[in-house]
Amino acid sequence: MRISEIVEKTGLEALNAWEDEDISGVYISDMVSDIITGAAGCGLLLTLQTHKSLIAAANLVDVAMVVFAHDKRPAEDVIQLADKAGIALFTTPDHTWSYAVKLFELGMR
Amino acid sequence: MTTCAHRWSMTDIRSGYLVVEGCYHCGARSSFFSTEPVAPIDEYREGPHFWEYLASYQAVNFNLVCDKCGEKVDLRDMMGLMLSLCEDPRCEVGRLGLELGKKTSIYVALCADSSHDSGRCVSDEGVAALTEYFNQQLRSGRRKIVVVPCRMCDRIDRCKGIVLADSGLTDFY
Repeated sequence: MRISEIVEKTGLEALNAWEDEDISGVYISDMVSDIITGAAGCGLLLTLQTHKSLIAAANLVDVAMVVFAHDKRPAEDVIQLADKAGIALFTTPDHTWSYAVKLFELGMR
Repeated sequence: MTTCAHRWSMTDIRSGYLVVEGCYHCGARSSFFSTEPVAPIDEYREGPHFWEYLASYQAVNFNLVCDKCGEKVDLRDMMGLMLSLCEDPRCEVGRLGLELGKKTSIYVALCADSSHDSGRCVSDEGVAALTEYFNQQLRSGRRKIVVVPCRMCDRIDRCKGIVLADSGLTDFY
């Protein structure tokens, strides 16, 4: 599924500029140490964590897009780091579970 | 020398704490990985050093194994990884970053002894395997990951970068 389709069908708000690409899977985590060992191969990371180290971890395992649940928004320096890494950032007012259900209903596994 | 084109996977994944200590006598910094349920905070003397607890972060430790030939690379000497943001031309890591450009991310593999007084650091074998492993995870050839040992940093204690540990995690709870 393309990023554009996920954005449109789940009502995401973009926090930086992004390029459309395929998303193969989803990983949900708020822990950097967990992302390093578990998120490889998953293009979409759903999280509450807005710390800069999240972007450093997401970049290492090639995450294409990060969705911050519960309307969380990272600081400007975090957005700048994501820009540099080419990671698209989005926010949703949904809670983590509610947004995960939306992705499941879209066919994401 | 092996002829296998390794396909690395993580193995022996251990969750625990990255514990950072400082010597209040000489100012040296040291770190270790603990799998204790609670991060140890004891002060103790070791040779000329008087180690005092400074901080701990939830972290993960792992080794790499080749799925094809079974070769295993022990990474217990690596305490963590740091995304380098260094652009200092006086630092070897900074120079490498400037040379490789924006499409390459440099991660510094951090060993236990930031002073490197012991002469030890993360092994070359470990660094090479980490570089191969993380590049094998990339979906396209547009980007590249390079892992370097922390002994390459001019001054690791002052190096500009982001350590991949769960610092600040409790801020939102």
